[in-house]
Amino acid sequence: MSAATADDRAESIRMIRDSAAAVAPPGADLGRIRALRFTDPGFDRAVLVQMGEMGWLGLRLPEAQGGAALGLGEACALAEELGAALVPEPLVAAMLSAAVLAAAGAKLDDVVAGRHYLPLAWQDRADTLDIAAGRDAPRCFVPMAAGADGYLVPVREAGRLALYRATGEARIERTQDGGNLGSFVPVLGERLAADIALDALLDEAALLSAAYLLGGMERAFAMTLDYLRTRSQFGRIIGTFQALQHRAADLKMHLAMTRASVESAAAALDAGATGDARRAAVSRAKARAAEAGLLVTRQCIQLHGGIGYTDQYDVGLYLRKAMVVANQYGSATLHRRRFMATAPEGDE
Amino acid sequence: MDAIRIPAPGELDALEDDQFRHVVRAFVHAHYPAHLRNPPKRLHWAENQEWYHILAREGWLCPGWPKEHGGLGLSPAKQIILTEEYERHGVARCNDHGIVMLGPLVIQYGTAAQRQEFLPKILTGEHVWCQGYSEPNAGSDLAALRTEAVLDGDHYVVNGQKIWTTLAMDANWIFLLVRTDKHAKKQEGISFLLVDMTTPGITVRPIINLELHDEFCEVFFDNVRVPKANLVGQLNKGWDMAKALLGFERIFLGSPRQSGYALSRLKLLAERMGVADDPAFADTYARLRLDFEDLKALFGTYVDKLKRGETLGPDVSMLKVLQTELFQRITDTMLEIAGENAGLLEPMEGNRDLNLGGLYIQARPATIYGGSNEIQRNILSKNVLNLPG
Repeated sequence: MSAATADDRAESIRMIRDSAAAVAPPGADLGRIRALRFTDPGFDRAVLVQMGEMGWLGLRLPEAQGGAALGLGEACALAEELGAALVPEPLVAAMLSAAVLAAAGAKLDDVVAGRHYLPLAWQDRADTLDIAAGRDAPRCFVPMAAGADGYLVPVREAGRLALYRATGEARIERTQDGGNLGSFVPVLGERLAADIALDALLDEAALLSAAYLLGGMERAFAMTLDYLRTRSQFGRIIGTFQALQHRAADLKMHLAMTRASVESAAAALDAGATGDARRAAVSRAKARAAEAGLLVTRQCIQLHGGIGYTDQYDVGLYLRKAMVVANQYGSATLHRRRFMATAPEGDE
Repeated sequence: MDAIRIPAPGELDALEDDQFRHVVRAFVHAHYPAHLRNPPKRLHWAENQEWYHILAREGWLCPGWPKEHGGLGLSPAKQIILTEEYERHGVARCNDHGIVMLGPLVIQYGTAAQRQEFLPKILTGEHVWCQGYSEPNAGSDLAALRTEAVLDGDHYVVNGQKIWTTLAMDANWIFLLVRTDKHAKKQEGISFLLVDMTTPGITVRPIINLELHDEFCEVFFDNVRVPKANLVGQLNKGWDMAKALLGFERIFLGSPRQSGYALSRLKLLAERMGVADDPAFADTYARLRLDFEDLKALFGTYVDKLKRGETLGPDVSMLKVLQTELFQRITDTMLEIAGENAGLLEPMEGNRDLNLGGLYIQARPATIYGGSNEIQRNILSKNVLNLPG
């Protein structure tokens, strides 16, 4: 990439970060997020519409399809900002729906606008990246299914993957972060496509979930540093204790590795990585973010002490979010395995 | 390879980075002595002066020095490429303290007379330098150093002891941090002095390290008389100068190539031991490999900063900690899977690529030198995370 394009790119990423303030104002408290926890549907439809108006749900789509034609660098920056603010509206799932409808050549304006939430019901079991394709097989772990206006369901037909709109009576299970997951037996409606490729789109969702985790880790760590700088025990600010300083330094290094991993994966995909190169890059980032996301948030609880274990204190919200997102679109174990199966040999 | 034309030294800095990389490859291919590739231990002057003199002859000795002083005037980004390609080829490190440390210091802080006296002799190999910083009671707390220099007419009289002086037995000159004011704050009473090692009163005693190698020395000073003209920069400003010189080179301590090399040896060893497909090993290996890949990505972000002309902040300490601890974890794993071979003194099967005990031991000081990893974490918490003193 030439220097000029690199600068343009950095500027474009900075702008998308700034725009995130519309839904996640810097310095705002988490009152809205708390109020939506454990409610139905677990998010605010008006905010999802607002996200549509911001152009976020169609961020990756070509302009001809009403999108902004931006790269994964921008998309990851956005997911990160929303992760930092624990935004519960299903950005990643809704972006995936928009991308799937675009790939199917189907009508997508309601989804891109955030008026309809039509999550892709692609799973029939836990911890997988394999697309479920049985006509009658139950689909499970659909994010924020309590707010779904229907589903997109892939079905194997004559050796090809078709895409249907579907409905179904979803069984809703609440998640630790206050959201929900749904499972249902699909009742197929309109066939939207006879032959659709979903793997690359699912990989993008996995990478965005890694970026969302990164944002949450960063914010939880920043809160923890503030606490270390102000909390006093034994007549000293606890941040002066070397044992805690070194632990904070370790967490900072986990964050730096995660950021490098996510951003380099986004850059690789934006530069056109496909097939195994794409799978390896995404798996590397998600394996890192999933493991580090859980590690950093639980260490943040420890560094806070008792106050961190209260529901009233915000740092715990980040731990609960990491518990949900870490294993969405593949756990660290799954992604480590897939990385080893797809990564080229080292260049040593 | 041979088809690539190697431009004159003065033209190297103008090449595109990719082109430069190819030129370096062609250069080492054409000039590096094959019998010195990938030495198992750090080489002494007697062994590596052949390469030093080749570099000197070709004008490639001092990549970072400005051209007017006989260097290549390379940007930091190009210097990183050069180092990467040297490491890829298995080029041994020279006795390079004159090139990397002293030369830049004299160029920046020395008098015209000092530049004229010392720089050409580094370029010819007439002066081989070593660095006298650490002392028995001034390691991590370097500013506590006590070797003192007292003015007596036209000379300083130096008394004290240095330790961990790399390859001092090969050197004929040493640059010293010495105490010149015992009453000032400890960082403010230190000066920078150049000493001819043939001066009476200097004793060099090698230390045998865990590699059973005499890489380090103790150097004793007993009423050593040093001409006043050998003071570099202002009196009592030695600490600031030495610190100012810790520039972008800190990035080299975090270069992932050491881990990359170890990882490739681990893979080879796993195949030999028949555990490559064992699920427990495969999981450990996958974690190490991913740590390596992400470290490469992180390292790349710092190289990019240098390419954009930015200076590196204290956060570069992260690279050193991550790299050295990964290197150690890889060698730890080698021992874990090697069975009784773990304890062999010589490389397994007589194969230099399976020098697992040697690598395990070499990995130990990595977390100690260049500022121990505990010191690096102090730096991170205070200067990056801004945690209170």
